[in-house]
Amino acid sequence: MLTQETASAVLSAALRTGGDFAEIFLEDRRNNVLSMRSGKVETVNSTRLHGAGVRIYSGLSSVYVFTNDTSEKGLLDCAARAAAAISGPDKHEAAAFAASQCPNIHIIKEMPSLVESRRKAEKLKAADAVLKMYPEVVQGIISYSDSEQRVWIANSEGLFKNDLRVYTRFMVNAVASNGTENQTGSASPGAMQGFELFDRQVDVEMCAHTAARTAVRMLHAPLCPSGMMPVVIDNGFGGVIFHEACGHSLEATSVAPGNSEFSGKLGQKIASDKVTAIDDGTLPNEWGSENIDDEGVPPTRLVLIENGVLKNYMVDRLNSRKMGMPVTGSGRRQGYMYAPTSRMRNTYIAAGEDSDSEMIATMGDGLYCRKMGGGSVDPSTGKFNFSVQEGYLVKDGRIVHPVRGASLIGRGSEILMKIDRVGRNMQMAQGMCGSLSGSVPTNVGQPMIRVSSLTVGGAK
Amino acid sequence: MDEYIKKLLQAAKEAGITAAEVYLASRDSFRAMCQQGVINNYTVSSTRGLSLRGLWRGKMGYAATEAFDGESVGQLVSGVIESASLSEDDSVQEIYPGDKNVPEVDNYAPDLDKITPEEKLDYIRRAEKAVLACDKRIAAATYNMISTGSASVRIVNSYGMDLKMRDNFFVSYINALARDEGRSASESAISVGRVFDPAEAERTAREAAEKTLFMLSAAPVESGTYRAIFDPYAMSDMLGTFSGIFSSENAQQNMSLLAGREGETIAAPCVTLVDDPLLKGGFESRGFDDEGVACRTLNVVENGVLKTLLYNLKTARKAGCASTGSARKASYAAPVRVAPSNFFFKPGEKDLQGLMEDMGEGLVITEVGGLHAGANPMSGDFSLIAEGYTVKGGKKDKPVEQITVAGNFYDLLKSIRAVGSDLTFPGSGIGSPSVDVGEIRVSGK
Repeated sequence: MLTQETASAVLSAALRTGGDFAEIFLEDRRNNVLSMRSGKVETVNSTRLHGAGVRIYSGLSSVYVFTNDTSEKGLLDCAARAAAAISGPDKHEAAAFAASQCPNIHIIKEMPSLVESRRKAEKLKAADAVLKMYPEVVQGIISYSDSEQRVWIANSEGLFKNDLRVYTRFMVNAVASNGTENQTGSASPGAMQGFELFDRQVDVEMCAHTAARTAVRMLHAPLCPSGMMPVVIDNGFGGVIFHEACGHSLEATSVAPGNSEFSGKLGQKIASDKVTAIDDGTLPNEWGSENIDDEGVPPTRLVLIENGVLKNYMVDRLNSRKMGMPVTGSGRRQGYMYAPTSRMRNTYIAAGEDSDSEMIATMGDGLYCRKMGGGSVDPSTGKFNFSVQEGYLVKDGRIVHPVRGASLIGRGSEILMKIDRVGRNMQMAQGMCGSLSGSVPTNVGQPMIRVSSLTVGGAK
Repeated sequence: MDEYIKKLLQAAKEAGITAAEVYLASRDSFRAMCQQGVINNYTVSSTRGLSLRGLWRGKMGYAATEAFDGESVGQLVSGVIESASLSEDDSVQEIYPGDKNVPEVDNYAPDLDKITPEEKLDYIRRAEKAVLACDKRIAAATYNMISTGSASVRIVNSYGMDLKMRDNFFVSYINALARDEGRSASESAISVGRVFDPAEAERTAREAAEKTLFMLSAAPVESGTYRAIFDPYAMSDMLGTFSGIFSSENAQQNMSLLAGREGETIAAPCVTLVDDPLLKGGFESRGFDDEGVACRTLNVVENGVLKTLLYNLKTARKAGCASTGSARKASYAAPVRVAPSNFFFKPGEKDLQGLMEDMGEGLVITEVGGLHAGANPMSGDFSLIAEGYTVKGGKKDKPVEQITVAGNFYDLLKSIRAVGSDLTFPGSGIGSPSVDVGEIRVSGK
């Protein structure tokens, strides 16, 4: 843990060479993973991550130094190394710490560290028993993971806060095979919760059925045709399309230097009227939520796009200086090994007014994506690419049969304008998002949407 | 650290852990970026992590820590016991007593650690200036980074093994963004090695700028089947993505279609795939693997025939053969798995120009993207966003973007027509020359 005395000494040392802002972030984290393959608990691994990082700004320059040595001497040394890389014109003093308790909006009922590992292992076994019911499923990888991250954040503006973030997640990957070909299906729900995740929210047997069904269905599916066509993307993980194609380009990390295709477009129309998009860190116990971000800033509910008009960017502290805009509680990092930057939290397209059945019935010939896989984007050009885990061919407004091997490619700005239907039933799904400040938990989400035309890369 | 390790092994022994291994990884690194003349993301670190692995009632347990306080010894020992007590892994596992001869592999360039931070910052400042000076259409260096570091690994076990290796590296990466009349393009160049050459700043800047400007006029080609060559960058990415099919662990878990096919022809006769941990100057060169087993050079595929999969101690025992020295941990805290070291297509006779002349008409693919989403290492299926250029009359013609190339990696290995001479390791132990892959399906316009 970090005391105010130590923090104060470290921040003073950090400002010695003329830095105008200093921050210390200390983390003590316990991760537990249990995983099962071929019906056997194979890996049980507990890891204690522990370290701290000191950050200094001088104007728009930033320096970050981190270490595992969190003794007072270690932290002072860390601050000295960071200060050595800074030379500012004026000497700044650290402000006295303001009394600031951060309210806990994410109540944890059953701390994972107090739950016997055997109970965790039982969850794996229950899911495995379901996978065994599918003769074509030759392999299942099932894992349970939990994490308790304690953080202490202090800065030279008088901020001193600590927080405990608790995460629990369950993952099932099913592999179906016919001997010469393998197909996979997955389900991976999680939340900012303890073991109570399994009380109501997550049914591990359902997860296994979902994963197995996708794998088996795709095993029997013919290859997807390629070309331009209308595409309907279902709710839940379908939101990855917005996350990849637009969300990253609204992070200050790409907006501030002018690298994003959405730089300088606040107040302008960047999406069809149907699109309202939100990034919300305040939702209780959601996977991407927070009590404070990794810079100690309280969370916000941020309207990114309202009826097609760009309203807000996600802004961290350093980029707020660059952009002259307030921080939005979006400064996040995987841990002490990364300086924070602007990141998404729970990011979704808000519910609209269109009917799911109508949007398929009137689409003509195209692709219905029941479940999306992962994807990536180049924020400077908006070019994206993502895979379809479970897709169906639509002919004349009717779902005909499943297809495998499809991917969707295009540009973020184009797809936003081409969304011509937004359904009513918004759902979120969990992911780990990788970027400059490491891998952080984020929710993606949307109702069912339709894109009037999109390039489908198929294998046929 | 010696004292801590001794104490830990002693505590493990007293708790009934019959054989134990300590794996200690230490790392020092420096990284900085420069945009619009301003240094940012300046990051310096020194970290270490330790894992304890041990046999308790015949099962292997794991635990790891980055804290070396009073609590941590007890946490590690009880973590290993809990881990082992829940494990249902029936395979026989072992802590390795050690080999008589472990090859000496030196991956440490002392001069690299003498470069001052100011020299490194100067490098990225010059790189940004150089990229912007190339052409007025270059709008920015969107990612302009230098990184250096050194790392060491030490394995100590209760049989008296005490192995050490160390390594250092330099890498710089620059990404250029060009804009012209509403079009934009973005391409990068990288420099990696154990020698710091200040002139690389300008060279990589020019390379990134040239690639970017070339791609400004890029357009998709018509969908269809094309003759194609993958350049070393694209082919290394493909090989890296699918390298897991050569893992015995995946094979034994029904996750590789190469299970039970050692001795069979799985690729075209011109294909030899080498895993060479002893490669001089390689990114993944090492004398011993992550279980302390001595490393050796392997022809995994020889003239199209699958000679061996890659094994660690556990999978080798299951298969009744010897470990190939391919035990690998993804990090100090990760379980022991299987992975290649320096893994590459053995180069052939002709360079890229020669392969293009032989092909006549077709595509050269220079970049494949979305690998974590669009490639399925289990089935071998891939459908990937790609860039490159057309080849006409054996010569480089027009830039191509926004296409996907689709196929199956197992089929691709068989359809390879020629392997080039230009072996390159783009930034990891996975390398390749240009490879003529025969025909490939392309989705474009």
